[in-house]
Amino acid sequence: MSDTLTMALPQRNTAQVPFDALYRQTVSDVFAYVFSVLRDRGAAEDVTALAFERAYRKRARYDARRGSQRAWVFGIARNAALDELRRRQRTAALVVEPDDPAAAADLDAVDDATEAADRRATVRAALATLDTRERELIALKFHAGLTNVEIARMLGISEANAGTRIHRAVTKLRKACS
Amino acid sequence: MIRRIRTHDDELDPVVAAELQELERALAGAPGADPVLSALVRDVRDQVPDLTGPARSDLDARVASGFAADRPGGRLRRFVAPRPALRTALGAAATVVLALVVASAALTGGDDARPVTSSAPPAGGSAEDGAGTAGEAQERSGGDEAARAPSPSGSAAPQSSATAPAPPTTTDPGGLGGPRRVERAAQMTLSTAPQDVQAVSDAVIRTVQSLGGVVASSQITTTDDGGEAVFDLRVPAARLDRAIAELSRLAHVSALVQESDDITGTVVSTASRLQDARDERQALLKALARAKSDRQVSSLRARIADSRRRIASLEGALRGLRARTDRATVGLTVRGDRASQDTGGAAWTPADALRDAARVLEVTASVLVVVAAILVPAGLLVVPALIAARSARRRARSRALDAV
Repeated sequence: MSDTLTMALPQRNTAQVPFDALYRQTVSDVFAYVFSVLRDRGAAEDVTALAFERAYRKRARYDARRGSQRAWVFGIARNAALDELRRRQRTAALVVEPDDPAAAADLDAVDDATEAADRRATVRAALATLDTRERELIALKFHAGLTNVEIARMLGISEANAGTRIHRAVTKLRKACS
Repeated sequence: MIRRIRTHDDELDPVVAAELQELERALAGAPGADPVLSALVRDVRDQVPDLTGPARSDLDARVASGFAADRPGGRLRRFVAPRPALRTALGAAATVVLALVVASAALTGGDDARPVTSSAPPAGGSAEDGAGTAGEAQERSGGDEAARAPSPSGSAAPQSSATAPAPPTTTDPGGLGGPRRVERAAQMTLSTAPQDVQAVSDAVIRTVQSLGGVVASSQITTTDDGGEAVFDLRVPAARLDRAIAELSRLAHVSALVQESDDITGTVVSTASRLQDARDERQALLKALARAKSDRQVSSLRARIADSRRRIASLEGALRGLRARTDRATVGLTVRGDRASQDTGGAAWTPADALRDAARVLEVTASVLVVVAAILVPAGLLVVPALIAARSARRRARSRALDAV
């Protein structure tokens, strides 16, 4: 990876930062990731808050040898999001959450360019064609900005397998957009 | 174009790798990145709203406050469920304490056991003599004196948690018209080095005599390997506690049993019957003086003789009862014991220190063995259970993704 890329990517496994700084660096991306998995703004807000609370209470257990703080936070957020999915399945409510219409309306409302709005709708539709695992991979890559190694570790698979799955999901997304 | 890609664990198709590298450049916003990919990245990122408004400000505030008091029962929860490290430490401490208790019980139940018991009459003595709280109070004070007596090894004489025997006479309990009469007895076992049995036995006799007591019987047996001396001692009841204390100084007290029996009721009853018998005899003597016929005289003399015999019998019984309360019985056994060589002796020498240090190490090793005996099986059960639970949780989360 080039120096330029290294500088441009989100902060990597460098020195440990205080929790509030970590929070500021990651809160928007964590929310985006959780929202992508749950597709429910209210639930995503709750799960994001829960994830950071868990991270705060477990902060002493963070081990820099096992990955970056960012990946650690996203691992906690992933567990919280999946727990929320399981809870929904147990309560038999919102088994398949449709895209958040309010969020989509907000986004469309602030975008006065018809072409951009059309493109956004196309991408939204393309994302809807992905299954949950593929959508999660897209979120981990596009929103969380994790490396393939970090994603592989989070999912419990090899780096090559993670790269393959990411490539497959992105290719499927591109094809759906075209 | 969708390429057939290899999914081997440690290999990635070079074309796929190159496309992933291009994706990384687009994600990083690098200049010269594939514009289609860059637009895709931008559009995907634009799909999600920002975390803004009250939800963001609330979360900001909670983070700033360290999630301190925003959960119901947060502080209590933190108290009840401490940090994992603290939980581990508390668990380890509890295990060690448990092991210490078990080891201590196991060790003190061995050769060094010094059983100490003490029995006392039920509260208030016998059923016929009423309550006796004053006597009990005195019994307790007497027992404490004995309990404080030091042993040759420097430790206190065996302590009794029960009420100890009391001196024979106390204040009048329950209006019986006289002092309480308490019969006291003790059984002691002293352990000493085999070669010291004779010397300790001589000291026992001297001690008892110095206290005004007597040796009712004694049997001393000495052999090359040790020996044993058995004494039946009588000491003034009022000096029993002092006698026990002084005897305890002669050797290691390996057992001490004290008993007391309040026989005030029996004494009073006997004395009352004696008085009745004497009154009857006086009446018979007066009747004899007034007797007119030989038949009357003969009959009265026979009754007077019976009365005299009964009086003599009751006087004997009363003397016996008083003797039982005036002198306490002490059964003393002196045993020659090689183990006592380790604890005997007045001075604490470097050899004793070495032995004690070895003993400490021995106990420590025993504790560690007990701890291991507890932790290893527990670990064999708990660790796989935790691993299984974690694996199950991971699988359940994975299934949650599939189910959507």
